[in-house]
Amino acid sequence: MKFMEYQARETFAKYNIPVMNGVVIDSVSQVKEKIKDLKFPLVVKAQVQVGGRGKAGGIQFADNVDDVIRISDKLLFTEIKGHKINKLMIVEKANGIKECYLSIILDRQTKCPMIIFSAEGGIDIEETAVKSPDSIIKVKIDPAIGVQGYMVQYIINKSGISKNIAPSLLEVIKQLYKLFLDYDALLMEINPLLICEDNTLIALDGKIDIDDSALYRQPIVKEYRDELQEEELILEARKFRFLYIPIEEKGNIAVISNGSGMLMSSIDLISKANMTVGAALDLGGGATADRIKEAVRIVLSNEDIKYLYINIFGGITRCNEVAQGVKEAMEIQPKGKCVVVRLEGTNKEEGVNILNSSNLDIVSVDGLVDGVKALAERGAV
Amino acid sequence: MSILVNENTKLIIQGITGREGTFHAEQMLQYGTKVVAGVSPGKGGQTICGIPVFDTVREAKEATDADATILFVPAKYTSDGVKEAIDAGVELIITIAEHVPVKDMMEIYHLSKRKNCKVIGPNSFGIISPGKSKAGFMAHKIFSEGSVGVMSRSATNCYETVSMMTKNNIGQSTCIGVGGDMIPGSTFVELLPLLEADPQTKAVVIIGEIGGNEEELAAEYIKNNMTKPVVALIAGKNAPKGKSMGHAGAIVSADGTGSAENKEMLLKQAGVHIAESTEHIVSILKEIM
Repeated sequence: MKFMEYQARETFAKYNIPVMNGVVIDSVSQVKEKIKDLKFPLVVKAQVQVGGRGKAGGIQFADNVDDVIRISDKLLFTEIKGHKINKLMIVEKANGIKECYLSIILDRQTKCPMIIFSAEGGIDIEETAVKSPDSIIKVKIDPAIGVQGYMVQYIINKSGISKNIAPSLLEVIKQLYKLFLDYDALLMEINPLLICEDNTLIALDGKIDIDDSALYRQPIVKEYRDELQEEELILEARKFRFLYIPIEEKGNIAVISNGSGMLMSSIDLISKANMTVGAALDLGGGATADRIKEAVRIVLSNEDIKYLYINIFGGITRCNEVAQGVKEAMEIQPKGKCVVVRLEGTNKEEGVNILNSSNLDIVSVDGLVDGVKALAERGAV
Repeated sequence: MSILVNENTKLIIQGITGREGTFHAEQMLQYGTKVVAGVSPGKGGQTICGIPVFDTVREAKEATDADATILFVPAKYTSDGVKEAIDAGVELIITIAEHVPVKDMMEIYHLSKRKNCKVIGPNSFGIISPGKSKAGFMAHKIFSEGSVGVMSRSATNCYETVSMMTKNNIGQSTCIGVGGDMIPGSTFVELLPLLEADPQTKAVVIIGEIGGNEEELAAEYIKNNMTKPVVALIAGKNAPKGKSMGHAGAIVSADGTGSAENKEMLLKQAGVHIAESTEHIVSILKEIM
């Protein structure tokens, strides 16, 4: 789960990582009261989780209260690249001498947290990594060793930044690592990390990504999740413990499967046959007819979806339950959607019989590849 | 032969008194697995399907000299259960739970290496050596004894492949679910030497996915060390970037790290046969065996 910028800023502040003074508003009427203690000039930042926010006008500077009101009025509740702006963060404009990049990620190669630092911050770090890989310094944190002073020494020597910031950089990295562990994070990123004239550091913007599997023991993070804007269908699917994944915007095929491996294989085969998948839904294991019915309903409530491929290799999942659920869902669906079902595994025959005797427009196929062919034959693209 | 589990493996089931634990204890016994003990804190002294239940792994191990354990416990208790098994000196620990926090697995990964034991999973169907023994929840009917070693990050893709192999009379030596998480207890590259050394195994199938670099590391090992033919499938070529595909581990970052293209290229360079689909795996196996 990814944090919004204001959530990241709040979190950094809790762990004594310096951030700029600022407030969050969700209505223009709050502006005057909320910003009264802030020093101009101010920066108004639209809270949306989408890249290229600055270029799209989502970050603007204000010299007085009227400016803030005018900008807030212009930005609030409009959209940037399809993401609605429900909140604005208003912070004091920072003065510094250099913008760096700092993050701690979970490195899958070493299976350890890893510090990533670059003296060239503020911009797209992935681009920097390609253009000048030497400017990206990586330091593995052995969990048994933790963050130590020599790591910062190494970062300073390799990146060429002033050694005067060593004490403040060590402090920030130590706190960021503590956050990383306390919050079950996959990523804690500060970009840009501003170096000020007095050798202090300020986190100007941040990204935090939390391990979804650990949310049960992260009550604060769970609260934050409720404030995120997520697609309605993702939320709806989550209620039933399904995972809904939007794929290609222009796709009109949806895939439902009982495991992510099978889901990916199905999408690969469909794409290879030059058709486009719009959405996918992972049932997980052991779904019952009632839940299957909901899964079909959720996916088909997306108006762009015209074709549905249900691909099941049932172990714990029983094919008769799947067939029953599909049948019940289709009985109440308006006409015009084509459903292809492939059943294999536990109680396959019972399932196929349920489908074949249903008098509904459900295509039952025998095999993963046959299902893909059936989609093409019925005009999916 | 086969690897990791065979007809002599003495297995503990942690969480045997739970619904899934009891059900699969019976399934494993029926298949021929030597399930020697169950563990359930506070429930020691019972028997389930004739299997004695102990309060702790240590007591179970002392009483039965078991050499492997499988955990049918929820994700939030998996870390505690694995640590208990490691501390009791069990050499092979199989974890099946989905959604184990990655921080827990990070700890377990490093701990298991230090203590010299093998952890398989989590988010895995377990291990089966067809005709001999199974330690897992896989639908064993689709497996058949033979000479192909199979390792898979995905259960469903493995089922699909194995059932087609069996229909085409291509049996398996051992099938291992390495699991779909970001940090698996054991990776392809750690299991390949076992398959290379196993006399029953004549060829190896790797069912990988986008994300991480386990396939890349496998490619390097295969290039330098494997004499047996290897077939690989990488699922998720058409998955959207930056989105986890349900398996926490199946995610391609915005810069392309973990992409299917890179994995396939390196595997190909290592002499691995690249399959385009699960069906294609079987047709390649038919050709090379």
